[in-house]
Amino acid sequence: MFRTALLRSARQAIRAAPRCQAPIARPVVRSSMFQAKQIVPAARFQAVRCYSASAGLTKDEVEGRIMDLLKNFDKVTEPEKLNGEAHFHNDLGLDSLDTVEVVMAIEEEFSIEIPDKEADAIHSVKQAVDYILAQPDAH
Amino acid sequence: MVFTNPALRHQVIQIYKQLLFMGREYPLGYDYYRTRLHKAFASQQHLTDEEQIKKGIARAEFVKKEIEALYFLKRYRTLRQRYEKP
Repeated sequence: MFRTALLRSARQAIRAAPRCQAPIARPVVRSSMFQAKQIVPAARFQAVRCYSASAGLTKDEVEGRIMDLLKNFDKVTEPEKLNGEAHFHNDLGLDSLDTVEVVMAIEEEFSIEIPDKEADAIHSVKQAVDYILAQPDAH
Repeated sequence: MVFTNPALRHQVIQIYKQLLFMGREYPLGYDYYRTRLHKAFASQQHLTDEEQIKKGIARAEFVKKEIEALYFLKRYRTLRQRYEKP
């Protein structure tokens, strides 16, 4: 059953390929008629999934998730100071042990492992965001 | 903060992480465990002598083993309760 589905999608892909190129040569008036048909092949399911591809996290998403995580952290003394540039120690009043906890929580949130050396260098929200964005396997 | 020996500092952070990780299953709840662990580590932050810090790490290792033993005991008791006749 899986094989037939795969073959069907492959066949569709082959059929769809010339259709995608065709409108370039066609006059504008007629292409509007074909537009409706072209949406269908675009929606076909992808037969090949790239599991090793990066999750493609955006900066806002990463920042938002780290902020949420810090909001739920009960030791943050001044939640109103929480922003993208906040320093864990100077702005949020966390000590080095709390920082370790925050880094651990970040590790869990993005399902990665941060080596000790790098973990030691993360002192602010911005540094954490930059580090996560540099990791291709962060989710 | 005084940075004494970076290697020792890493060791302390390492054991702190391990203990934190083990606390997830703590019978009295993670929050209880976390605050107490934090206090225990924070109370030793004045240590600067390397020997003293090493002693502290050894104590942390000991506590780690104790917690392990606690979990084994808890598991044993639960299993025994299940198998014993009511």
